Amino acid sequence: MAEGLIEFQHVWKKFRRGEFHDSLRDTIPALASRIFRRTDRSALEGREFWAVQDVSFSVRPGEALGIIGPNGAGKSTILKLLTRILRPTHGRCGIRGRVGALIEIAAGFHQDLTGAENIFLQGSIMGMTRREIAARFDDIVAFSELSEFIDTPVKRYSSGMNARLGFAIAAHMSPDVLIVDEVLAVGDWRFQRKAFQRIEDILHGGRPVVVVSHQLDRIAALCTHCLLLDRGRVVKRGHPDECISEYIAAGVRGQEDHMTPPFRVNALEIAPKDPLRSGDHLTVTLKGEVPERAGANDRLGIRVRSLQNAHVIFMIDLTAHEPALREPGTFEITIDLQMNTGRGYFSIESAMWNNQERRELGKGPQAVACVGVAPFHGGTNLHPRVRVVTRPAPETRELWPA
Amino acid sequence: MDTNSDAVSPAAAAWHDASPARDDDVRWMSLSDEERSIAGDLREIVRDELWRYRGLAYELTRRDIRVRYKQTALGFAWAILMPTMVVLAGAAVRYAMAYIGGRPLSAQDLAGIAIKAVPWSFFVGSMGFAASSLVGQANLVTKIYFPREVLPLAATFAQALDACVGTAVLLLAFALLDVHIGYAALWAPVLALLLLLLTAGLTLLVSCANLFFRDVKYVVQVFLMFGIFFTPVFFEPQMFGALGARLMMLNPISPIVEGLRLSVVLNHNLLNTLVVPGHHGAAVLAWSPWYLLYGAAWALITCLGGLLIFHRAESKFAEYV
Repeated sequence: MAEGLIEFQHVWKKFRRGEFHDSLRDTIPALASRIFRRTDRSALEGREFWAVQDVSFSVRPGEALGIIGPNGAGKSTILKLLTRILRPTHGRCGIRGRVGALIEIAAGFHQDLTGAENIFLQGSIMGMTRREIAARFDDIVAFSELSEFIDTPVKRYSSGMNARLGFAIAAHMSPDVLIVDEVLAVGDWRFQRKAFQRIEDILHGGRPVVVVSHQLDRIAALCTHCLLLDRGRVVKRGHPDECISEYIAAGVRGQEDHMTPPFRVNALEIAPKDPLRSGDHLTVTLKGEVPERAGANDRLGIRVRSLQNAHVIFMIDLTAHEPALREPGTFEITIDLQMNTGRGYFSIESAMWNNQERRELGKGPQAVACVGVAPFHGGTNLHPRVRVVTRPAPETRELWPA
Repeated sequence: MDTNSDAVSPAAAAWHDASPARDDDVRWMSLSDEERSIAGDLREIVRDELWRYRGLAYELTRRDIRVRYKQTALGFAWAILMPTMVVLAGAAVRYAMAYIGGRPLSAQDLAGIAIKAVPWSFFVGSMGFAASSLVGQANLVTKIYFPREVLPLAATFAQALDACVGTAVLLLAFALLDVHIGYAALWAPVLALLLLLLTAGLTLLVSCANLFFRDVKYVVQVFLMFGIFFTPVFFEPQMFGALGARLMMLNPISPIVEGLRLSVVLNHNLLNTLVVPGHHGAAVLAWSPWYLLYGAAWALITCLGGLLIFHRAESKFAEYV
């Protein structure tokens, strides 16, 4: 078998809003026109709309493509096109090799059958042969941690047990290409970590992967490339950090603001661009201008936000430190941050707000950058200073920092 | 929002510019009708779908059978309940006819009804289960890819197992009733295959039609309920006279069930014509070898047509279901 490959070539997909046909009076003319007239598929009629417009990409072995975007951007449609559930209106998409989809991992379960029977059923729905399933049966049961309940009908399972069994089956099908939806949050906390570890192992097996998720830190952690979609179109393609930054900032652009913000941030740059280790220093440079003198309560600052849970972990009010920032003119601010965070991905966003009215100015950050932080000795750099005194040989030493 | 998709970062440029792979192994999905041909479609159905997913058809059949007998009071007795009821109903009808005609009801007549009750029950059961096989499993149809043919086919295969149980019981009953089975009974497997093809084709068409129009299921129910009066199950075609017999044999299932009765119960070689005396003296054509060809043509055309139509409609299932 050749290596797996995922290919999307100028794919368009058309959908309709509402019911397909409301009554027989609609249906008969529609059927007649479909039979007698070759309708132009590129035209939109009535309530039709493009769910996916001219999307192209290819994913080769060793690459992992993340797809992000707001609701309705076309992510699910692309997943369904990839998994052959839908057919493109225009263009073509193709896959070489066996598709493993971590999507709807328990959809084939029959509630009246036992766990063991469902392993064979779901496994064959996913495309495994009976022999393959039999060979991996023990591994699947061990991974799901359901050996005591494997002869119990699935209808007696809890939802967590259901999901664990489904994930265990999907994780053991050794696909040539892998497609992952946001099913990563299955089971309890411990099983989730195990599942996430398993996905990483599969990813590092060098197969082409497509991941769709709203959990931006996972996209940043798993993917080598990224597509940002909006209303069916590719808005940006590139490195995950860049696409995530664009996605966070995208809420602002294109929307007319009802007021001109007092500060205009033109660029937010970070150095170094490579992932840091916890405790490393990060230099943030903010460039922009103040068109007119800003009000006394207008504030400009930056926020650092964890992409894992979107919580702000740090913010600084720059105008409080430098009142001259309110004067008309240009500014360039350099901020040195020591990233004493745990491992993870963080966005650094410009922010402006009114201190008195306690509200944001503008619709979101004008400039964003993303940074990944690797763990320091397994976690956060707590800047240890270690002093050791030994007896009976009297000696005092500073061990750390060396 | 910036909709310029040319915003390619240097890191991604190499990835984006890489020429698309040209490889015959890639399974392409597109809507280009120009590339379609019946031969190509059939090759796709048989090689890429049915053969590759034969294990799935097997598992789904097993599931349908297991689920049917789980938490049921009757268990496998279910399999012979329907044929038994058909035989009893047929016996009642024929008894009344025999009473009016002043002729006794023979064991051979009962055997003739019994051998037609099993295929008829199989046909009715398959159509009933298959009609809702796609709509009833919409969660699978919209979420996981596999050739959808296996869903109605699995429902049909599960019914076929019931028919096998029914056949075993029937053979036992024939032994008790002392019905002699001759060499002509070797036609039975051929006729069973024709029935399987015909039923498979019709279940594909009906399940697919029911996905687009939900009233198909009710129409099918009505047809199945009254179909027994237009199919020679309780009756024999010659009871309707020369013209009536010919009309009765136009029903695609008639040659199959009549062929079964003639070959198994009457030990009649189906390659020979059979003419029997009618009730009013005139001779009636009860069987002609052309009936065999007619039944085979129906079975093959329905099966192929069902597969092709289903295959071409398949890509719309997830959107319409």
